[in-house]
Amino acid sequence: MNLAEGVQFVSFIILAVLVIGAALGVVLFDKIVYSAFLLGGVFISIAGIYLLQNADFVAAAQILVYVGAINVLILFAIMLVNKKENYAPIPRRWIRKGSAAAVSIGLFVLLSIMLTRTHWSVDLSVASPALPIETIGEHLFSDYLLPFELASVLLLMALIGAVVLARREEIEGETTAIVGELPAPALELPERPREPVA
Amino acid sequence: MDFTNLASQLNAGVILPESTVVITLLVVLVSDLLYGRASARWTPYFAIAGLLVAFGLLCLQWDQPNTLAFLGSFNADNLSIVFRSIIALSSAVTILMSVRYVDQAGSAIGEFMSILLSATVGGMFLSGAEELVMIFVSLETLSIASYLMTGYMKRDPRSNEAALKYLLIGASSSAIFLYGLSLLYGLSGGKTHLADIALALGNGTENTLALVIALVFVIAGVSFKIAAVPFHQWTPDVYEGSPTPVVAFLSVGSKAAGFALAIRLLTDAFPALIEQWHFIFTALAILSMILGNVVAIAQTSMKRMLAYSSIAQAGFVMIGMVVGTEAGYASMVFYLMIYLFMNLGAFACIILFALRTGTDQISDYAGLYHKDPFLTLALSICLLSLGGIPPLAGFFGKLYLFWAAWQAGAYGLVLLGLITSVVSIYYYIRVVKMMVVKEPQEMSEVIKNYPVISWQPFGMRPLQVGVFLTLISTSLAGILSNPLFTLVNHSVADVPMLQGHPLVARNAAEKARSPLAVVGFPINAQDKS
Repeated sequence: MNLAEGVQFVSFIILAVLVIGAALGVVLFDKIVYSAFLLGGVFISIAGIYLLQNADFVAAAQILVYVGAINVLILFAIMLVNKKENYAPIPRRWIRKGSAAAVSIGLFVLLSIMLTRTHWSVDLSVASPALPIETIGEHLFSDYLLPFELASVLLLMALIGAVVLARREEIEGETTAIVGELPAPALELPERPREPVA
Repeated sequence: MDFTNLASQLNAGVILPESTVVITLLVVLVSDLLYGRASARWTPYFAIAGLLVAFGLLCLQWDQPNTLAFLGSFNADNLSIVFRSIIALSSAVTILMSVRYVDQAGSAIGEFMSILLSATVGGMFLSGAEELVMIFVSLETLSIASYLMTGYMKRDPRSNEAALKYLLIGASSSAIFLYGLSLLYGLSGGKTHLADIALALGNGTENTLALVIALVFVIAGVSFKIAAVPFHQWTPDVYEGSPTPVVAFLSVGSKAAGFALAIRLLTDAFPALIEQWHFIFTALAILSMILGNVVAIAQTSMKRMLAYSSIAQAGFVMIGMVVGTEAGYASMVFYLMIYLFMNLGAFACIILFALRTGTDQISDYAGLYHKDPFLTLALSICLLSLGGIPPLAGFFGKLYLFWAAWQAGAYGLVLLGLITSVVSIYYYIRVVKMMVVKEPQEMSEVIKNYPVISWQPFGMRPLQVGVFLTLISTSLAGILSNPLFTLVNHSVADVPMLQGHPLVARNAAEKARSPLAVVGFPINAQDKS
C-alpha cells in the first residue's frame, strides 16, 4: 500500500464513519432540527465518497441539489411549522420501534450477504474520461436525450402543481350547484363525508 | 458522432403522439394564463381534441417497420401503441367527466388539465420505455402528477389525507424500485437497455441471490402502480379522498401504464428468471382476486367499492400475464381495453350522481330508477359488465382471459377466477338491485329530493357525452369484439419477447443486440402465422 492508497483508505474510513454516525443521528434524535442538520451531514459525507471515486461532477451535484436545495427546504419547513403539540405517549411504543429495528437489521444482513456473494462484473478497461462533464453532456444529448427532454415536462408539471397547492384561492361565488339544496363548499369533494362508524 | 448522423438515427417521428399531447398541454396552460377563467369555456374541448389527434397519430403508426427510437430508449411497437391509445383515450374521457366536477368545486380547470395531460405523457412514454433511465423518469412523471391531482381539492381533509398517503407510500415504493434498477445496472456491468441487461445476465445461474432481490424490488415498485395485494393499502383511502375523475384516471390510465411497464420490464430484462416472476405474480393475482372481491362486499361507499373492485380486476388481468403464452398476453391487453370503457363508464355515472345529489353512499342509490332511468341504465350496464354478465363486453374479456389460462393449463387460477367472479357479481348486482327493484316508498331521502334533470349547466354536456360513449362502447364492444381480438393478437404477435418460450426470447435478445437493431432496424424475430 503506497501513500496515495493509504490516504484514500483512511479518508474512506473517516467518511464511512461520518455517514453511518450522521444517519443514525437522523433516525434516533428526538428533536427534528438536529435530524435535519445531521441529514445535511450525511449528504456532504456521501459527496466526499463520490469524490474519492473520481466522480467530481456527481459530488458537486450532490452538494448543490441535496444540501443546497432539499436540506434547506426541510429546514424552512421545520422553521415555519412552529406549532407545539404534546402527543400522548403511545403505549407499548417499544414494540413498534423494536420491530422496525428488526426489519431494518434483517434487510441489512440480507443485502450484505447479497453484496459479498455476488460476483460483480466490473469493467476495469474503461478509463475515467478526461472531461467527465463533456462526456455527460454528450450522453444527455445522444442516448439519454428522451429522458432528458421528458424531465423538462416533469419539472413544468411540478412547478404548476406547486403553484396550485400554494396559492391563495379566491372563491368565486358564481358556481351554483345543480342540486336544489345547499351547494357543496368550494374546493371540497362534492360527496358528503361518511358518517363516522360508531 | 456528428449531428446529422445522430438526427437521422433518432427516428423521432415515433413520439409524434406524445409531442402532440405536450403541445396541447402548453396551449392549455398559456391560454389559461392569458385569458384567465374565460378560457375554461374552450380549453377542455381543445385538450380532448389534442388527445384524439394523438390517438389518430397512434393509429397511423400501426405496423410501422421501424419501431426503435432515440437510440433504443423508446420502442413504438404495436403493443406500446395499444397501451398508449388506452392511456390517451382514458385521459380524454376523464377530461369529459372532470369539466363540471372541477367547476362545481370552484377550482381551476386549466391547471387540472395541465397536470392530467402531463400524467398522460408520462404514462404514454412509460408504455414504450426500453431503457432504465427512461422508465424511471416517465414513471415519476406519471406518479408525481397523480399525487398532485389526488390533492386537488385542497380544502377537503379527505383529499389532503389521500394525497399525503399516496405521496409517502409512492415515494418509498419508487425508492425501492430504483434500488432494484440500480442492482440490475450493477449486475449487468453498467447496461441500461433492457435487451442488453437480459443478455448480460445470461441464464441466471450465477448471482442468483442478487438477481432475485432485484426482481423482488422491481416487482414491488410495479405492483404499487397496479395496486396488487399486498401493495394495495393506499388504494381505498386514495380512491375515496381524490376527486372522482382522478380516480377514474388512476384506475384505468395509470393502471394500464403499470401493466405495460410490467410486461416490458419483466419479459425483456428477466427472461432468465421467468419461473420466479411467474410465481410471484401468481401469488399477487390470487391475493388480489380474493381480497379485492371479498372486501368489496362490505363497502358502503360507491368509490370505496370500486376501489376494491379495481384491485380485483387487476388480479384478473394478472392471470393473463402469468400464463405466459401469447394468448395470455393478448387476452390481458384485450381485457384492459374493455376495462377502459366499462370502468370509466361506471365512474362517469357515479360522478353524475354525486354532482346531482352530493353523496356516493350505496344506500342512497335506492330507487334511482323512478327518477333517472337513463343514469340507472348506464350505471347498471357498466356494473354488470364489470361483473362479467353476458352479452356485455366484460363477459367476453373474462371469457378470453379464462380460456387462455385454461389452454395454458392454469386450472387452479381459472377456478379461483370463476369463483371470485361470482362473488363480484354479488356486490355489483346489489347496487343494481338497489337502484331498480325498490318500490317508490322505499326511496332514499336523497332520491326523493332528486333535482330536475337538466343538461344545460356548464360542463354537463361533456359529462353526458362521456356517459353515452362509454355506455355504447360497453354494450357493443362485446358483440363486435372480433376486430378488437385481431387487433390485440396482432399487437402481441409482433413482440418477440412475448412468445412464451424462453429460448425464443433469448434469440430475440441476441438479435436486438445486433448492430442493425441498435440503429433502429426492425427486429421482427419471426413471423407468427
